[in-house]
Amino acid sequence: MATTAKVEAGAAGHGAEPRGKRGDDGQATYLIAIAEALWEEMERDERVYMLGEDIGVYGGAFKVTEGFLDRFGGNRVIDTPIAEEAIVGMAVGSAMEGLRPVAEFQYADFMSSGFDSISTVLGRYHYRSGVPLPVVLRGPSGGYVRASSFHSVNPEPWFAYGGGIKIVAPAFPADAKGLMKSAVRDDNPVLYLEHKWIYRRIKEQVPTDPDFLVPIGEAEVKRAGTDVSIVTYGALVHKSLEAAENLAQRGISAEVVDLRTVHPIDEETVLSSIAKTSRALVVSESYRFVGIGAEVGATIAEKAFEHLDAPVTRLSPPNMPVPFSPTLEDAFLPQVADIERAVEELSAW
Amino acid sequence: MATEVDPAGIPAEASGARRPLPDDELVEMLHMLKLSRYFDERMEALYRQGRLPGAIYSGRGQEGTHVGAAWALRPDDSLFPTHRDLTAQLTKGLDLKRVMAQFWARIDGYTRGRDGNSHIGDWYGNKTFTVMSHLPIAYPVAVGAALAYKLKGEPNVALAICGDGATSNGRWHEAINTSAVHRLPVVWVVNNNQFAYSTPNALEFAIPTIAERAVAYGIPGLRVDGGDVLEVFEATRAAVERARGGEGPTLIEAVSLRWRGHAGHDPAKYMPDEMLQEYMANHDPVRNFEEYLLSEGVVTKDDIDAIVQRVEAEFDEGYEFALASPFPEPGDATKGLWVEDGYWTSEPGRGGGTEAG
Repeated sequence: MATTAKVEAGAAGHGAEPRGKRGDDGQATYLIAIAEALWEEMERDERVYMLGEDIGVYGGAFKVTEGFLDRFGGNRVIDTPIAEEAIVGMAVGSAMEGLRPVAEFQYADFMSSGFDSISTVLGRYHYRSGVPLPVVLRGPSGGYVRASSFHSVNPEPWFAYGGGIKIVAPAFPADAKGLMKSAVRDDNPVLYLEHKWIYRRIKEQVPTDPDFLVPIGEAEVKRAGTDVSIVTYGALVHKSLEAAENLAQRGISAEVVDLRTVHPIDEETVLSSIAKTSRALVVSESYRFVGIGAEVGATIAEKAFEHLDAPVTRLSPPNMPVPFSPTLEDAFLPQVADIERAVEELSAW
Repeated sequence: MATEVDPAGIPAEASGARRPLPDDELVEMLHMLKLSRYFDERMEALYRQGRLPGAIYSGRGQEGTHVGAAWALRPDDSLFPTHRDLTAQLTKGLDLKRVMAQFWARIDGYTRGRDGNSHIGDWYGNKTFTVMSHLPIAYPVAVGAALAYKLKGEPNVALAICGDGATSNGRWHEAINTSAVHRLPVVWVVNNNQFAYSTPNALEFAIPTIAERAVAYGIPGLRVDGGDVLEVFEATRAAVERARGGEGPTLIEAVSLRWRGHAGHDPAKYMPDEMLQEYMANHDPVRNFEEYLLSEGVVTKDDIDAIVQRVEAEFDEGYEFALASPFPEPGDATKGLWVEDGYWTSEPGRGGGTEAG
């Protein structure tokens, strides 16, 4: 199939009426940035199509794909039965035949319902066969939204473990847009995690260049500092930035490194931050034991040992279900005050 | 005689016409049946002698299903098999030499030594999916290939095979249901060899046949004799052309018996001997087809002898090729996970030697 040469009307102003739009100030929420990226990639390349539960007529549980069915039609916006193994299999099989599927999981929690096809087929097929699988699996992950055990999961360690699948988890709208476009253009499988706490909470100016890309595998320092490095991703980037602001008023300079991609990790950016600050706090919403934070912490301990003035410290929830009640969830997930306290303890070394 | 279970649940008898192919194709079909049987027996012997590493999964007794189903496909149609279905992959066109190099873990195997035995596939050459163990893991993937054919307007069909045991798995339902909902060009073949490892049909499902499950998906279901390669072929060809014509999926249950254990290590003592004897005596797809072609005058005894000689020569050639092929280089072990390192689009290193440690 031929690819279309240009995007009809750029990012914010495409012809047909899509889902939510940017505000009058031109700012885009994280959710809108993701939708823009998908829209532009669908316009750019007709091999790109979407499939998932309730993504067509309904526009997706979080309305990321609202308006897509009208613009792109039922052959490119496909409502599937509630069958996650089939959804992943469909993505894989169609990718083998040259399409570039973007499969939505209504919640990232339900990736476990397609676990076998994700870990066994998607992650292991290219290594054994040489057949690329340009598949994007996307879905809302994470907590802080009072959604309890089955709508708050952070699945990234499940899939990082098996290898063969890139995993991105952006925190800002511009990164979300640029990473989604990179994910769709990547010839490898990409798991794209959208933090639902961020969806409508964070907005900013987002580039309108249809070829604006954020490379997969690159972290970014979101706030420069000199005393302690906070290495984190997802919603906790925002909580870490808030903590850093509060700490600055108490004379502690915290640097915030946003991983943006959690597999493979950008070791260079992380390690150069530690070389500067000599103290590392790894903040992760994935569980403490065998979580992303454990791996980042181990990498720092192993490769930045000579720079460290204090033990590498982790802040992450215990390996337990995410509870519902506000008092329980707040106690369970890392909070701004927890980050401040951990940084203060580290800076006392 | 094929038994059709239509969506209304009414069994009907399908056509039993003979000689559905030109004579030269029938002779080639016999060659493939005999090659598969010979390969299966020789590989088992080598395995028992400790001369074959890894595992073997015999398809003996089920060659009628494998050859009959795969024969109905065109080159651009795709095949999604299991480890039991190597014969179907050979029928689709895989090179026996490279297949054998795979069994001996060599670089010329289809997976370049990354997988063994019949966990094989050749997507770019013969449109076959590289087999995985988690059955029926290829069923959902076949839905995707069929979806692509529909979306792109290509006149191709996907055909997936699994065993009777795999029909107990949830994704079997997910795949067939989804393919029916979207009316996709796919054919679902179940090789009912009556044992899932040691578990008989009666402990896998509580209905008389797998074919009648088709009713629940709103698609046609057929039950055919896996001991009769032409019956399997005709049923599959009809299903393939139905799919190609935009009429959606068909479920075909081909019944045979797994003559050997689940894998080379399994003596299959759980299988009743009289059952095995009955199938070997009366439902041998290779011998039945050979006798049929002789009785029809399509082949002579001399032709059969020539086929046997050809088969033996092909095996010997494959064996020599496999043992002469080098092992993969150890330094390549971590290559080829990601597309961008280019491992799979370049010639692999051949310096691994022919002696394993």
